[in-house]
Amino acid sequence: MSAPGRRGPTACFGDLLLGIRLGVAGGRSGWFRLVMTAVGVGLGVAMLLTATALPTVGLARADRSEARSPGPGVEAPGPDTLLYAKADTNWRELPVGGLLLRPEGGQAPVPPGVERNPAPGEMVVSPALAELLAAPDARLLAERLDARVVGTIAPEGLSGPRDLFYYLGVDSLEAGSFGVSRTDTFGGGGRGDGATLPAVFLVLAILGLVVLLLPVMIFVTTAVRFGSESRDRQLAAIRLVGADTTTTRRIAAGETLVGTLLGMVVGGLLFLAAGRMVGDLVPVRFSFFPADLRPVPALVALVVLVVPTAAVLVTLSALRGVMIEPLGVVRRGRQRRRRLGWRLVPPVLGVLLLAPLVGGLTDGTGTLVEVQITAGVTFLLLGMVLLLPWLVQSVVHRLGGGGVAWQLAVRRLQLDSDTAVRAVSGIAVSVAGIIAVQGVLGAGQAAMTDRHGDSTRFQASVSVYTEPVDWSAERITTTLADTPGVDTVNAVARPFGVSGSSTVDVLIADCDGLRFYAPLPTCTDGDTFVADGRERPEIAPGASIVLDEDDPGTRWTVPNGIRPVEQYDRLVVADLLVTPGALAVPTPEPSTFLVRLDATDPDAIEQVRTAAYRIDPLAFVSDFDEQVTSGLLGTFEQALQVGAVALLLLIGASMLVNVLEQLRERRRLLAVLSAFGTRRRTLSGSVLYQVGIPVLLGLVLAVVTGGGLGALLLAMVQEPIRFNWAAIAGVTGAAAVVVLVVTAASLPLLWRLTRAEGLRTE
Amino acid sequence: MTTPRTDPPLLTAEDLTKTFGVTPALDGATLQVYAGEVLALMGPSGSGKSTLLHCLAGIVAPDAGRVTYAGRDVFAMSDAQRSALRRTEFGFVFQFGQLVPELTCLENVALPLRLAGVRRREANRRSAELLTRLEVSDVAQKRPGEASGGQGQRVAVARALVTEPKVIFADEPTGALDSLNGERVMQLFITAARETGAAVVLVTHEARVAAYSDREAVVRDGKVRAPEFAR
Repeated sequence: MSAPGRRGPTACFGDLLLGIRLGVAGGRSGWFRLVMTAVGVGLGVAMLLTATALPTVGLARADRSEARSPGPGVEAPGPDTLLYAKADTNWRELPVGGLLLRPEGGQAPVPPGVERNPAPGEMVVSPALAELLAAPDARLLAERLDARVVGTIAPEGLSGPRDLFYYLGVDSLEAGSFGVSRTDTFGGGGRGDGATLPAVFLVLAILGLVVLLLPVMIFVTTAVRFGSESRDRQLAAIRLVGADTTTTRRIAAGETLVGTLLGMVVGGLLFLAAGRMVGDLVPVRFSFFPADLRPVPALVALVVLVVPTAAVLVTLSALRGVMIEPLGVVRRGRQRRRRLGWRLVPPVLGVLLLAPLVGGLTDGTGTLVEVQITAGVTFLLLGMVLLLPWLVQSVVHRLGGGGVAWQLAVRRLQLDSDTAVRAVSGIAVSVAGIIAVQGVLGAGQAAMTDRHGDSTRFQASVSVYTEPVDWSAERITTTLADTPGVDTVNAVARPFGVSGSSTVDVLIADCDGLRFYAPLPTCTDGDTFVADGRERPEIAPGASIVLDEDDPGTRWTVPNGIRPVEQYDRLVVADLLVTPGALAVPTPEPSTFLVRLDATDPDAIEQVRTAAYRIDPLAFVSDFDEQVTSGLLGTFEQALQVGAVALLLLIGASMLVNVLEQLRERRRLLAVLSAFGTRRRTLSGSVLYQVGIPVLLGLVLAVVTGGGLGALLLAMVQEPIRFNWAAIAGVTGAAAVVVLVVTAASLPLLWRLTRAEGLRTE
Repeated sequence: MTTPRTDPPLLTAEDLTKTFGVTPALDGATLQVYAGEVLALMGPSGSGKSTLLHCLAGIVAPDAGRVTYAGRDVFAMSDAQRSALRRTEFGFVFQFGQLVPELTCLENVALPLRLAGVRRREANRRSAELLTRLEVSDVAQKRPGEASGGQGQRVAVARALVTEPKVIFADEPTGALDSLNGERVMQLFITAARETGAAVVLVTHEARVAAYSDREAVVRDGKVRAPEFAR
């Protein structure tokens, strides 16, 4: 140990070493503290390491998708070509990818992971799909994909272990048909999932990552202070034998380092062990092979550097709030008044970074903007972490009145709110982020809903563009209408007309069908409507439109009395909406079939998918409800909720550890309070208030910050600002439940400690 | 010279036995405490005096024997009733004060009153008066950590007296103080207790502290030897 006043690197190193020795040789209670810290830090580090591997996981999935994507198109058939068509489908909310294959020669390429191309009527499936097809409740999917399974796809042909994919051999594909392409290779056709990411998804992805990682980091910094009060007492004993304040701080830093380094080892082991399972636990769309979970070295280096540094800084910062004196006395000094000024810098910086993007964020935005958004969101949320201690201190210093339980809690918080605030800030970031995400998510969902039309009228549509053999529109309509779970079917023709030199989108359906696309005030057969804002001479009354370029007999004159209608928000499906009675020419063959589902049949949409697949595997089925509540957005929401729950549990656990530690530290005092007749409910209430007040303040700040951030992000992607109040209530409710659970979980110990027999411990 | 007490005892211990593990702490201890008297329980370390005090106060249940307060069997009461008894009828002073560190000294003194349902303003007024009587009004708004040991112990005494209890249990109240401070605390404590008419059961191993008592009982090997009458 350095003598008082001794300085220099040697002294510093010696003090650190002493701290490390104290950390590993602190007796039973010391070991307990060390284990708690190591486990806490380990959990956090494991999550951080998982995050550092996300880029490689994403790339690996993309590479695997690319490897099985058919290569560039080939004009002429040859011995090494094949015809293919994508025949994706869904099973409930799970996407099932599929390719129909028709080799044109003996050397036709074979997809990765498959030994040979399946012959007509044969199917090769992924292991997950094979499992699903064998499941009793997936009968409707098995009826849809009823070809003979002749093999399974090996891992090199899958994007992840839970990937649902199939190759179906067919002999009906014809070159030049809708959706059919020719190739002579697999791979090199571009990353399968590499379509331009919509701006709203980009914002969501960044937000999700920040929202989940920031609280993890906060949790790590909370974990390094587990057992801090008894550590401080230990330091006081060291002060007694001559250590000065600087020395004690170095020793404390050394002791923190032991726990943190051990935690990093635990985290590394957890990461290695859990990595094998995580790929199977994540939603199907994100499932990955354990081998693909490879952390990015630079990011790992960042974790290795940032975690111990943050741990030491937190310890030193915490020690500033206590006066450690000799004689084993740890007197808490008066809490320093926190200043607001500098705490406003990060959130203001965050707003300044995000504000310029308002209204200007478009799909497929570049890396610089991604960095700008990430930094902006991080600064804003980090700012909240810095503001929370100020807010809690300012508010609790103004609190008074109330009963004894309230007074005990408030006074305790007035004396020291740091510990409580550290844990709460994790919850606050999580809640703020989720509120912001839910807002953006809601906008995304609403936008998708709007793009379909009025889903209260029709809940699904089947689009058949391939003119399958033997399937007239009338037969398709009848077949779909006879499908279990279907109420009615409305056939819609959507010819691309030509008027002069311009094309005209025409939508022909009866009034019931047209009302799906636009809110028509009145409509009778014979009416024609023009899309509001699309009026132009080529489609004005009297204009002549050829509905089918190949058939001059389909020339139609736009009648008088057409009325402008505003189609559902964002949706301009057609220039002209025409009822069959308004056409003086034969109605073109319908290609879209709007389906009204029986709301009481949960499998109605699966019945429709199976029926449509039988009509034509390339038929496109839209489930309007599915797109609203699930799809990629749903998966994202699901992933976020799982992450948020895991975080809340983690933070709740750290809060509980802190509360239990405080109770143990105060066991003598609690016994005294009990001795002079303090009721248990008074002490329980005190714990509840002590946990609840910071959480409540954290939630208020989180709702304000999350709402503001959400509004900013929505303005960025040019979506109307709206809040998902149910989600806000849900997430704040969950946080409140954490408070109650933490309090309830601490009660057994509290009651044990408040037995007056505790006085005998002296 | 001794004066015989003809009134019934306020608090009695009858043939108490108590064992912790294999160590006997009380072995047939019998004792009477009369209203308004100051009784010192003396004895060497480990003799069982603190255990006897805890049994008398209804804190630790004896293995056998009976404790009665005003004729009522203390350990026949429910836990809630015993808590209420301690809250309203008893007061406590411990060696290290055991004040709540986050409350001010005034709030610490007012705490038992608040627990008994007295309104804050009234509780604070009565507490402030008592702090003045015990000459520690200057630390009223300070936290215990900011007061000296002697001041803290006087605040603890004020806390024990504030509900005007019938019995005050004091376990080595000056054990952590120097002799000068200890003397001052004892003078103020006993004077204030006599003014309120409270009985004091004082555990100590210091003769100069026991000198403040009306009667001394010696605890040795779990048994009590006590004179019948006050001196």
